[in-house]
Amino acid sequence: MNYPVWQLDAAGGGLLIAVMAVVHVYISHFAVGGGLFLVVTEMKGIREGNRTIVDYVRRHTRFFLLLTMVAGSLTGVGIWFTISLLNPAATSELIHIFVFAWGIEWVFFTAEIVSLFIYYYTFGRMDDRNHVAIGWIYFACAWMSLFFINGIIDFMLTPGAWLENRNFWSGLFNPTFWPALFFRSFLAFMLAGLYGFLTAVSIKDEQLRLRMVRYCALWLMAPFLLFLASAWWYRASLPMDLRSLIFERMPEIRIYLAAFTILGPALMFGGLLMAIRMPGVVTRPLAGLLLLIGLLYMGSFEFIREAGRRPYIIPGYMYSTSIRTADMERVRQNGLLSEAKWTRNSSVTGENTADAGREIFNILCLPCHSIGGPLNDIRKLTRNYTPSGLEAKINGIHTVSPYMPPFAGTADERRALAHYIGVNLNGRMDRQEDVALKTIPEDPVPEFDAEAAEYVLLAWSGMGMKGMTDASTIWMIEPPGVTVNAQLIRRGPTPEVVVDGVTLSYAVDGEFLQPAARISFWENAEALYNVQIPEDTGLTGNGLTGTMTRGGNVFTADMLPVVPYTVDNGFLPYPAVTLTAVNAAGEIVARTRVAAPVSTEMGCRVCHGGPWKIDGRAGIADVTAANVLEAHDRISGTRLQALLAETGPVLCSRCHADASQNAPGNGEQLNLSAAIHGFHAGFMAGRGSRYCVLCHPADSGGATRAYRDIHSTLGLDCSSCHGEMEDLAISLLKAELEDGKPHAADLLENIRPANFAAIDDIAPRQPWDNLPDCLHCHLDFEPPEDDTTFNRWTAGTEDLYRNRTDESGMLRCPACHGSPHAVYPALNPYNGNRDILQPLQYQNNPFPIGANLNCPVCHTIDMEDELHHGNMVRTFRNQ
Amino acid sequence: MDPSALIPATESLQVPWGWFQFLLVVTLFLHVLAMNVMLGTAFIAFANLLRRSGEPDPLSREISGKIPFTIAFTINFGVAPLLFVQVLYGHFLYTSSVLMANFWILVIFLLMAGYYLAYIFKYNYEPLHGGRVLVIGLATAVMLAVAFFMSSNFTLMQRPEAWTRYFDRPAGLLLNFGDPTFIPRFLHFVTAAVAVGGLSFALLYEFRHRRGNRDAAPLVRSGCYWFSFATIVNFGFGFWFFGSLRPEVFDVSTGSGILAAVLLLAGIVLGALSVISAMQFRVMRALATILPTIFLMILIRDLVRAAYLKPWFSVSELEVVPQYSPFLVFLLFLAGGAFLIGWMLKLAWRTIKAGEVQS
Repeated sequence: MNYPVWQLDAAGGGLLIAVMAVVHVYISHFAVGGGLFLVVTEMKGIREGNRTIVDYVRRHTRFFLLLTMVAGSLTGVGIWFTISLLNPAATSELIHIFVFAWGIEWVFFTAEIVSLFIYYYTFGRMDDRNHVAIGWIYFACAWMSLFFINGIIDFMLTPGAWLENRNFWSGLFNPTFWPALFFRSFLAFMLAGLYGFLTAVSIKDEQLRLRMVRYCALWLMAPFLLFLASAWWYRASLPMDLRSLIFERMPEIRIYLAAFTILGPALMFGGLLMAIRMPGVVTRPLAGLLLLIGLLYMGSFEFIREAGRRPYIIPGYMYSTSIRTADMERVRQNGLLSEAKWTRNSSVTGENTADAGREIFNILCLPCHSIGGPLNDIRKLTRNYTPSGLEAKINGIHTVSPYMPPFAGTADERRALAHYIGVNLNGRMDRQEDVALKTIPEDPVPEFDAEAAEYVLLAWSGMGMKGMTDASTIWMIEPPGVTVNAQLIRRGPTPEVVVDGVTLSYAVDGEFLQPAARISFWENAEALYNVQIPEDTGLTGNGLTGTMTRGGNVFTADMLPVVPYTVDNGFLPYPAVTLTAVNAAGEIVARTRVAAPVSTEMGCRVCHGGPWKIDGRAGIADVTAANVLEAHDRISGTRLQALLAETGPVLCSRCHADASQNAPGNGEQLNLSAAIHGFHAGFMAGRGSRYCVLCHPADSGGATRAYRDIHSTLGLDCSSCHGEMEDLAISLLKAELEDGKPHAADLLENIRPANFAAIDDIAPRQPWDNLPDCLHCHLDFEPPEDDTTFNRWTAGTEDLYRNRTDESGMLRCPACHGSPHAVYPALNPYNGNRDILQPLQYQNNPFPIGANLNCPVCHTIDMEDELHHGNMVRTFRNQ
Repeated sequence: MDPSALIPATESLQVPWGWFQFLLVVTLFLHVLAMNVMLGTAFIAFANLLRRSGEPDPLSREISGKIPFTIAFTINFGVAPLLFVQVLYGHFLYTSSVLMANFWILVIFLLMAGYYLAYIFKYNYEPLHGGRVLVIGLATAVMLAVAFFMSSNFTLMQRPEAWTRYFDRPAGLLLNFGDPTFIPRFLHFVTAAVAVGGLSFALLYEFRHRRGNRDAAPLVRSGCYWFSFATIVNFGFGFWFFGSLRPEVFDVSTGSGILAAVLLLAGIVLGALSVISAMQFRVMRALATILPTIFLMILIRDLVRAAYLKPWFSVSELEVVPQYSPFLVFLLFLAGGAFLIGWMLKLAWRTIKAGEVQS
């Protein structure tokens, strides 16, 4: 932020330091261990009176000198150069803290050079005792350089008490100093043997060659157990959260952890192999191979250590983005572009989105993410996201990936960054225009003879819109199944709700027949539900035509297998059902039509990639669904992808309880609503109802536009009743927390309430049962005084709008007022009138049945008493 | 854009800036001496071999044996001043480094290439035949390139007004050609290296001559010729360099200006004296006058930097949050290390004197 950024693209993400540092540590640890190897082996040769061994040491010293003095020391300086180019802010901090540690290390480095030159160039000329002393001095100085550099490196993982007291010694002798020192020392001794193979295998004398190769093998293998013990000690001295981060919560480094676990024993095995008498044509390549394995071994350790430090460069003090933790709040407030010194743009305007986005990327992302390169290629990682999906992801990425820093900028900057990555790097766009809806003609209004008709047939759909996940080949959240209810009223001064002596039959419109030909649900039903379901039949046995069942004084056609796809492969989320009431004599006494709304417009693809499955507007493509499973496996440690391959599509409610499907779950996981909302609320925060419609089909420019009633017309949105995503998620998670579910607390940590001061202020609720209710705003059926009803819930299912009756106890609320989300007057987005067919049929207006003093619809005469509910005998308020 | 808005913030010091300044100057002096010997002798070996179409000669063979040492110590003594300059001026140096990042990181690879070339030159001097010109020529070119990039970086770091070029070229490829001091400074430094290189082998052969080696005398003279000629040429580059500097540096109405002017005058006088001594083949006297000249030049170099940065920054502004113990421990190790190194060198010298050592 303070410094210019070296704009690397494919070489970004820290590739340079990775290469420079791994090469350097591999050689420098050899420089330490090899120093001991040289002098101990020389002493061995002297002790045994064997000058050939001493000669071997001399030749090995030359190799040692050429490698460590040049490549070893220069890559060490190279690290310095590289870190000051890639993260000058952190380098400056480290230099100012540890200047004298580096100064001390330099003293030892100088002594190393002098001693090594003397050791090599006086070999055979200096007397043994002094020569060996020089050798020991070299090793001691080399080890002391390791001592001090080790302190600085470990500080960068566990700064310890330095964070409070800023004391040099606390920083140097930090919590992982000693275990890491032992770890690296034992590794250095092992490397001495490994590198020793390279020179030992080319000894001409066969006896000596075998002897020295075995000697090197001993050096490789003997320290191994102690090395593992110090590794265990190293791991144990990590703070709890760091340990859990590295070993449990970073899927990306699992490969390095695996490599480290496997390659150690591989090296030991290699050492054993080398000890066998074998011809040079085998041992030479084998020595080279072992050296390569050693490089990968050490490299995997260093990658693990570096990864464990993320998102910090100095834990608890400075992020990898060079922003200090203490400055984060200020940067978020004022904006990154205005706080940074080296940006051309000081804020995001309408015209500079791509440029500003690139500058933000340079500062916040380039330190770890390359563009098209080998390290954390941002293109690959974000290819599934549209800009709006990416915006949400960036918002909450530090919650699910704790090794990512929280976004350091304003909401506009986040948007610009998402735009830069989504559009400029990946060529993905959000939908630019409203979906062009297929035009359908207005429905003919069913007939009603206001003078002579004996009955009024009222009907509604249970939810106003049934969401369905059309991804059955991969997983299933919501199966097909729209419920249509009806009440038959015999007209008269005292009307009567009729259930006996009549049969109500239903028939879904012809263009929606053969749903099994259009979705894969039936192919996969047995795998999902362990029961065979005949094609075109719903989960409770109903088909697309049939007879409604009686329950109390309501007729129900339950879980109709209607899908929003027409026979000509179009998308129409408002199938209509014709209901016919027939008396015992077989005469039709009443008939009406009602919408049975169902939609498959779920925007998972905004983050999970893939195209729309149907007509560019609906359905969940297989690739999208598969990506969802991949994310679930990666983040939650499940094996759903394997399960898919072994036993077939995954039924989410098998683990996650879902009251709407009577699914009890597995007792351990959060219920489905709490899990989905709770997880995603970590990302989708701060944008009100904009996020609801990414998944729920209520986007006013989308293909369904499910929220279509009078409230929508008056300007309320989803959040007015259901709350914004964060608050909604908190309410669900709190109930689960009280129920003792383990993950509730984890997810709650990631969410901050949108409209409340604290999580405590939000009332817990169960999904499907505790929902907003009309009467929470319309107190005593009066006009509402406020327009939000979040935090007040129905006590249970029987109190829900769709299940409640009027004060007479006879009529269900939706019978007169319409389906939820489509209460009269509603405006169907496709043809205007499909959701108001009964008001049009019975009273030639779009209002609730009987509204506007239309009591004669059922009563045949005017009424004065407000029997059904208060405030009803009056003109309708919203004309 | 106002350059002062671009200057990064920096951190506090553990001891007053004077200590770092002292350590910086002393270690830089050692680095410059080692670098001069390294680059100068490499250049001279190359020139000699070139003149002789690659035919071996005693001087270049002698130099070939020693180049890996001079490189090792040049690099080693380069690390220390780099450390201390980052403490005082890091916020400027990192910035200019990033602006020329590709070239800066290239330095590491150039050094590795040059170092290995030097070893090839040393261990394969004979078998290379005529190819030895190419090897030492490449090594010298590499060293010159490194010096070139060093000069670019250390001049760019003191010119914040030039930093705005970053916004047109953020890919780390900027060099400081816009600075009139850049080229004369570079030439002045490398020509001085040739001079000191010459003097260094003049010194070596002077010792041999005094120990009775009869072939040494012509090479003493050769070294003195190199030294004198290069230093005279360097006066020319020096005056060019002087002329390109901003007048504020030597403005005698300011205290630092007077100091700079006095030091420069002294340096010029001592430099002239060293040439006179060298022309008389009085090697020790030339050494005794050129060493303080170099030291004075290093001091002036720092004063130039301070003057250039004066509108933006002064080291005296740096906050001190005292923590003396690390510094004291460092001094202890420094003293101990010097003692240890001295002991080892003495031991090695005894061994060398006891027998002919191939080095």
